[in-house]
Amino acid sequence: MVMVLFVIGFCSVLGAVDNVAVLNAMPGILTDPAQAWDWYDMQVLYNLYDPLVYPTPEGSIRPHVALSWEPVDGDLAHWKFTIMAGYLFHDGTELTAEDVAWSMNRIKAMGGGGVMGDVTATATDFYTVDFVLGVPNAVFPETLTQFFILNEDLLMENLADGDYGENGDYGNAWLQENDAGSGPYMMTHNSPGDRLDAARFEEYFLGWPGTDNPDEVPIDQLIFKEESQFSTLLLLLKSGGLDVECDGGWSLPQLEEIDKTEGLRLNYVWSENTTVSINTTRSPTDDEHFRKAILYAYDYEAVVEPYLPFGAGEGGTYLSRMPGFVPIEPQPRKKDLDKARAELALSKYADKLDEIPPIIAHFCAGLQNEEDIFLQLQADLDELGIKVEVAGPPWSQYGSEAATAEGTPHLTIWVFAPQYPTPDFYTYGMYHSPNWIYSAHWYFGDKEILQLLEQTRATLKFEDRIPLYEQVQPMIASHALAFFPYERQKAFPSQAYLIGPFEVTEMVGPNVNMRNWRINLTLKEELRG
Amino acid sequence: MVKYISLRLFQSIFVLFGLSLLIFFIARVMPGDPAREALGNYATQEQVEALQKEMHLDRSFPVQYYFWLRSLLQGDLGKSVVTRRPVTADLKQFIPATLELILFATLISLVIGQVTGVLAGYFRNSWFDGLSRLVSYLGIATPSFVVAIFLLFIFSQLLGLAPSIGRIPLMMKPPPTITGFLVLDSLIAGRPDIAGVAVMHLVLPAISLAVIHIAQEGRITRSSIVENLQKDYITLHQVHGIKTSRIVFKYLLKPSIIPTVTVIGLDFAFLLSNAFLVELVFMWPGFSRYAVNAMFHKDLNVIVAVVLIIGLTFALVNLLVDVVITYLDPTIRIQRRGG
Repeated sequence: MVMVLFVIGFCSVLGAVDNVAVLNAMPGILTDPAQAWDWYDMQVLYNLYDPLVYPTPEGSIRPHVALSWEPVDGDLAHWKFTIMAGYLFHDGTELTAEDVAWSMNRIKAMGGGGVMGDVTATATDFYTVDFVLGVPNAVFPETLTQFFILNEDLLMENLADGDYGENGDYGNAWLQENDAGSGPYMMTHNSPGDRLDAARFEEYFLGWPGTDNPDEVPIDQLIFKEESQFSTLLLLLKSGGLDVECDGGWSLPQLEEIDKTEGLRLNYVWSENTTVSINTTRSPTDDEHFRKAILYAYDYEAVVEPYLPFGAGEGGTYLSRMPGFVPIEPQPRKKDLDKARAELALSKYADKLDEIPPIIAHFCAGLQNEEDIFLQLQADLDELGIKVEVAGPPWSQYGSEAATAEGTPHLTIWVFAPQYPTPDFYTYGMYHSPNWIYSAHWYFGDKEILQLLEQTRATLKFEDRIPLYEQVQPMIASHALAFFPYERQKAFPSQAYLIGPFEVTEMVGPNVNMRNWRINLTLKEELRG
Repeated sequence: MVKYISLRLFQSIFVLFGLSLLIFFIARVMPGDPAREALGNYATQEQVEALQKEMHLDRSFPVQYYFWLRSLLQGDLGKSVVTRRPVTADLKQFIPATLELILFATLISLVIGQVTGVLAGYFRNSWFDGLSRLVSYLGIATPSFVVAIFLLFIFSQLLGLAPSIGRIPLMMKPPPTITGFLVLDSLIAGRPDIAGVAVMHLVLPAISLAVIHIAQEGRITRSSIVENLQKDYITLHQVHGIKTSRIVFKYLLKPSIIPTVTVIGLDFAFLLSNAFLVELVFMWPGFSRYAVNAMFHKDLNVIVAVVLIIGLTFALVNLLVDVVITYLDPTIRIQRRGG
């Protein structure tokens, strides 16, 4: 019987479904915006939902669901947003201010929305929403690039028992397998841990503009297949089983192989800033000169050179493509043992290098490029007589270690693309206390830096903040709170018949908004048959 | 027999209780904060502490265990911090996928292992025996994921004869879920084409898992056959001129298969927890992959549930093996009756 079924299966002719793009996603996609927080959730959410505002390639925001916004009477803790009229959800009902306010309050009730801070929302009329913040924040609108709006009526009709009183579970269980969005694609199937399917929403408010090439058409169906093993993904790319790979965490040999493979393309999209945070509360990295010695001893060229053909460049406090970027010390980015020794001689540990404990350097398990960064550092600091112990615990341990100053090793690596498009993510987010990025230096507490960061959040106009960002970067660098081996543009391999993204931002999600891509079916037939 | 089975099941409860205590403790002393893992980088410390309280992580170990046990007795295994679904819903989705795979692998290993074992044993010291010995050693020495990658490369990528990933093609709509076994659900839905495609998708991963067990079971069967061939009653049947096929199938196979049945049972339970690497290679959405993912994310509820499921499987499979052996070996039946 098994043999018979095998033969039937082998002979089965499947109807060709050409207009489909298969993408990968990390296992465990969270489709509820109140729970989703990481980039691999966002890449799906940007397809299923709409954010209130949209990030721009220039590192700012533009109207999206919200047409305009302003602080009420100049109060940066009170914002009024006006939303577009006639904006439709997938079920045909209109998206109103009530949906916006409810979605925000839902996120807060469910414990999500970290980057947006403490916010309460109220719909003051059909198309106007008031947001009241716990703390004044000029950057608040920028943080709404990951605030996705849900269909309140639909979710309230599908409540299950939960922890939120009369709101039950806020529709969380239903939302995992059903659609309640307004985005360019509608969820049609979700099997958590396996795959998520979505179909094009033809009535999407922004429409589906064509390109100059009539063969390039919008993608009708998406399949997010949950898989994170790069060896498997490479096999799938080569065999045509995967159309776009959206993680970008390829090793160098894999990038080189993809680059040489006919029919595949490397798309350089979002950038990541590689930051090695230095714990300033632990001996010996509590000494500023000691930290500077590390910065000067590091062989930046050795680690960045292999990645230069693949979009790597000099790192800094934030991404070089963001407005107001300023190169910081050390300049030039080369190993300088003389300067390193000079700094070491000024440190309080100069005469007792033999007595200091080894520097503990942790990276997240499974990330070869992070391990390479620390292995290079280990070799470099060995030349100064400083021992470094390198280890790669799994993420759950790595994350909880870094939650407190006492638990954090001397050195940890964080590779972040911004969660919202402005330098505030890397400056206030990482260097002001208290904050929500526990990998940062809020415990350093330099008054001058803190005041400058607070000033950025008190400055309404984006262009007026840029000089402040230009000032704060060298100030942060002068204390050697971190060093930045490189920044890397993440490369998304795709099949050559997938064209995009037409607009590249520094944030992940918008780049994998598949409305931003087209498929060339003629080319697909030629390449894949 | 009923009394025997009931007693074994009763004993299993204590085993599972002890297992749950052990894994509950181990999971909680492992480094990592499940609340932070669930909420992510951008949650405030207050939010993390609130979730820790909700998960009872701020309470002592015995209190945490009490809450967990109370939920378990109500049929609630808690929620997964990764999928954010009840663990029971996750298990309902992932277990059938792995069960279908390992049942298929077991079937393959049983058929091929027994055939090669019987032939190698009956024609001992022949070229076939030597060849099967060599192949067996190779099979035992080669990890299943290496076999998986090799098969994938040859049959899927180079020759294009077999599919590479998943349970059915991505573009194919699966049948309505009744049992979770895709082949069975397809046949129930009157779709033999989907069933056939599902079988095609099963072949490579099942063979990958089966290779080591084919080798193992083949060798054990061969040894049993050789041993039983030397028994007097076989010699008597041969002297009486009874056909070889009758001797093999009626008189030799049954006693020779007893050691293999024990091993098959253990292998089945072993596969449930160790199919991870093969599931990874073939992107098989199964229980083993789900379990390993839970370990990496310190998904406490899932870790405990997974270990209990595996423990329960071992207990039940061993019980089934003992019952089957009792059927195969009448001397055991007589001993149990106190004869």
